[in-house]
Amino acid sequence: MAKKQKGIFSKYDRNPKLFDELYDQQGEVNDVYKKLFKLYGQHSIEDYAELNGRAKASFFNQGITFRVYSDEKTNEKIFPFDLFPRIIGADEWAELERGVVQRCKALNAFLWDLYHEQNILKDGVVPMELVGSSENFLEQMVGFDPPGGIYNHISGTDLIRHTDGKFYVLEDNIRCPSGVSYVLSNRTALKRALFGVFNHYNAHTVTNYAENLLDLLETVKPAGVDKPNTVVLTPGMYNSAFYEHSYLAKTMGVELVEGRDLYVENDFVYMKTIHGRERVDIIYRRIDDQFLDPLEFRKDSTLGVPGLFAAYRKGNVTLANAPGTGVADDKAVYTYMPEIIQYYFGEEAILHNVPTYHCSRKEELEYVLDNIAELVIKPVDEAGGYGISIGNTLSPEEIEEVRNTVRAHPRKYVAQPIMSLSVHPTYIEETQSFEQRHVDLRSFALMGSDREFVLKGGLTRVALRRGNLIVNSSQGGGSKDTWVLKKSKKNAG
Amino acid sequence: MADCFRITYNAENSYDYPVTAATWQFLILPLENESQHHLKFEFSNSLGAYWELSHSGFGFRTIRVRSKGPVSRISFTAEISLIKEVVNPFAFNPEMVPPFNGPELKLQDFRLTFARYIRPTHLTTLPPGSAALYSWDQGEGYLEKLQALNTWVYEYLYYTPGVTDVDTSLEEVLGLNKGVCQDFAHLFIALARNKGIPARYVSGYLHQGKGYFGDAQMHAWAEAWVPGIGWIGFDPTNNILAASNHIKVAHGRDYDDCAPLKGIVFGEGENTSQHAVAVQSQQ
Amino acid sequence: MLARAADNLYWMGRYIERTEHMARFMNVNYFSSLDAPNAKSQKRNFVLRSILFMAGDPVGKNDKVNEQEVLYKVGLDQDFPSSVCNSICYARENAHSARDLISTELYESVNKFYHFATSYPKERFVKTGLFEYTSQVTELTAILRAKIRGTLLHDEIYAIIMMGVNMERALQITRMINAKYNDARLAPGSYGDRFRNSYEWTTLLKCAESYDMMRRLYKKSPSSLSTLEFLILNPRCPRSVMNALNQIYRHVVSLNPMKIDDKDSTAFLVGKIRSEYQFKCIEDIEGDIQGYIDHIFSELTEIGSRMEKEFFHY
Repeated sequence: MAKKQKGIFSKYDRNPKLFDELYDQQGEVNDVYKKLFKLYGQHSIEDYAELNGRAKASFFNQGITFRVYSDEKTNEKIFPFDLFPRIIGADEWAELERGVVQRCKALNAFLWDLYHEQNILKDGVVPMELVGSSENFLEQMVGFDPPGGIYNHISGTDLIRHTDGKFYVLEDNIRCPSGVSYVLSNRTALKRALFGVFNHYNAHTVTNYAENLLDLLETVKPAGVDKPNTVVLTPGMYNSAFYEHSYLAKTMGVELVEGRDLYVENDFVYMKTIHGRERVDIIYRRIDDQFLDPLEFRKDSTLGVPGLFAAYRKGNVTLANAPGTGVADDKAVYTYMPEIIQYYFGEEAILHNVPTYHCSRKEELEYVLDNIAELVIKPVDEAGGYGISIGNTLSPEEIEEVRNTVRAHPRKYVAQPIMSLSVHPTYIEETQSFEQRHVDLRSFALMGSDREFVLKGGLTRVALRRGNLIVNSSQGGGSKDTWVLKKSKKNAG
Repeated sequence: MADCFRITYNAENSYDYPVTAATWQFLILPLENESQHHLKFEFSNSLGAYWELSHSGFGFRTIRVRSKGPVSRISFTAEISLIKEVVNPFAFNPEMVPPFNGPELKLQDFRLTFARYIRPTHLTTLPPGSAALYSWDQGEGYLEKLQALNTWVYEYLYYTPGVTDVDTSLEEVLGLNKGVCQDFAHLFIALARNKGIPARYVSGYLHQGKGYFGDAQMHAWAEAWVPGIGWIGFDPTNNILAASNHIKVAHGRDYDDCAPLKGIVFGEGENTSQHAVAVQSQQ
Repeated sequence: MLARAADNLYWMGRYIERTEHMARFMNVNYFSSLDAPNAKSQKRNFVLRSILFMAGDPVGKNDKVNEQEVLYKVGLDQDFPSSVCNSICYARENAHSARDLISTELYESVNKFYHFATSYPKERFVKTGLFEYTSQVTELTAILRAKIRGTLLHDEIYAIIMMGVNMERALQITRMINAKYNDARLAPGSYGDRFRNSYEWTTLLKCAESYDMMRRLYKKSPSSLSTLEFLILNPRCPRSVMNALNQIYRHVVSLNPMKIDDKDSTAFLVGKIRSEYQFKCIEDIEGDIQGYIDHIFSELTEIGSRMEKEFFHY
């Protein structure tokens, strides 16, 4: 049994059914956390509350906020930040990193194939309906070779740790994944508040993200450009992620532009400066495909640049990520990721997918019909969480109803086991104590034409409401600094 | 045999309030292919705004005009002379055409290759139940079946300018039983696709020397993929096959891929747009 | 630098400067009037009307004004575009839009300033907070000015912000002169040339934070002539129109030194106008002060629109 704890963890209520990042199954503190546990244990809860308050004020004063749209005015909120970091050991991370890179490369290969020969569809590995029905498949991209052959230059992979202690991929984000600026500001905030703890740990830096981003973007510059001019394209200061856009532009040392700052002439893109025009070669765009170019996509878009897509197709400007990546990160494609990795690389997927039962396959359908109470049933073609049934929340009548629906339209449904996110001690203001809260991990990977980069760290998101599994910031989620330890004996405990 | 045509395209846009930073894109240049060759092309606009040639996302030639503004009124003129080879739509070997409803439409490779032109779009979606409107019992092979469809659409809708616009859905068109060339084309395309036959929207010019419908505007028709032959143009507005008098500009999934004029303007208030097209045969 | 971002930075500079002048004008006018040497200058209505005039919202001679309402409106009211609080909001809005270009330190100070101004309680302000609020605002603008000078590379970004700061300074000083010229005519002094010796000239210098400097230079009580000479023409007075024009000139030229020869450029225009002030003497102005004030306004406006066209047109 757990030893009697003192100090700030004295009231920590550990539910042994959940996987706790801090403790092992026997209630012993995990090796990587041992020092930290001791160091934090020296603080009283009052000290901690004060530090927590200071960290919050620092975020607020720096304007590291996101805007929440309510009825009348827009309000600024800080993204709640927890001072107790999440630690990932060197070996475990090395495995995650390999898995993330494998996945990003496989998604890129898949996108190339979808927009070219479509062999994976012809070979029946991924059903053609799945791609055909996707609104994110951009017909305009068919047959086009993006510079350097790269589609998903920037990827965000959402990972969770299940009760079995293993990491699973929950989602791939390869449109405009956001959150990396919080990784960096979380680190800064933690350093300011608790600089002492860094003396005892050897954590990887996260400040090298921007330089790697610029460097990798420059590997996919348009042909014939010597010193490329890179910009970040934002929807503007009212966008909820504007802080991140300006942060990235600033740390890369490039201009932050809006659509109205750019124009296209002779199929080249220019920005309007105080000294006239200046050519733009690489655009890290943080606006969605449909808004990029009102001449080609949504006519009512005021965020984009008329003619941008023509310049892109001409090879005169690089867009990152490439338009049309959305087709590969939807839920239905996700379920085929192990097959996709196998198809292109002949390798097993390093990272686990949440197992998915395709009701279109007879034997899997049988299993699903018999086990609805332990499964999540999802429609294949609905986005945004619509039409999802979570088995353990249904009444027997509702289960029967779902069973009938699935039996009637097996091709339309997939099923997955109900996953449980691991928990991590998190300071809760209301109770002034540490409690278990569910966490996930978003990793950030970059891909250029000659190398990949995975940020050694990530955004650990915390569901602040007890028992809640939803970690999104719009749902009141917070975040933690995430330390990836360097490989050395010093960290062993 | 070849014909020489002279096409004059005029557009005039007016805005209630002057607009700034405006861009206009024209998709009006005849396609250059084995049967169409440009002789001459001129373009101008009333404000002397900067213009250039470019391409649409599907690779068709466009003209892009950009003005820093403010603009209250601007007119555009294009003049194109071109040679059009006389096309005989029946110049194929009928033995190459497989029997209707054979397995070829269901083959996975076929459906993948033509996926873009089989899938309904929002302008070519048949309202529920309306697939049964057309029974496909006329004619024998693919070509005859599609010709019968062409005739059926021609008879089913009444050519009536002014009741529909470029955003009108098929549900409304079928409710009205009226429309103009793009509605005829969309209906034809929707029914063909519903049968699994690839069909695409074509915009272009029609030489009206023979009293065809089509008004002094750009024309629209459809192309369907006939197994064993290839793409064949059907003009349901006039109940004919597209041939020597049809000058093709572009094709796409529906009107949206082929809109002759797109204007991106920043400003308030309404705008009006007027177009006039004249096609003269010079022989 | 992007033309739009330059526009944001320019206006950030202008609003920071505007905030300071409006706040000090309220502060000085209100508190120095309390023990002014003549009855007219002491009158509440007179002072409040002067504040409204300066805020660009003048009221008629016989209109009744309510002290708390006027103070709230000009100080804190976010529905009144020219309020001190709104100037801070606009400064911050512009800083936000160009935050990738300015230092983290500068942005953090602007942001803290904004939170201070927008969360200041109304009740406290109208009852006891006028001095505290306006003094705090002027202090905080001094911090911003230090952050601009000390945490930004002195390159284009700095030049553009300083163009905004100095444009606004020239304008606000001229507006103050205009307001106080009006007041001096209404509240003349008690001896000699009564207009020349109005107490309002002292108030004007204090509003411009230039009273001590002026006394040191002239060593006698401010008169209309010495005050105007000091605030308009003295290049060494950091608040004078002349000084602001010199700074604008320097920064505009630094953006593109080759442009001085181009007679359509901003640099050329500013150079021409500043030369005019350099060789002007107060006696030239004396005869028609109002006419000269209007002349300054129109020249500043011309510089502003030339800048707009050359640098911010996007």
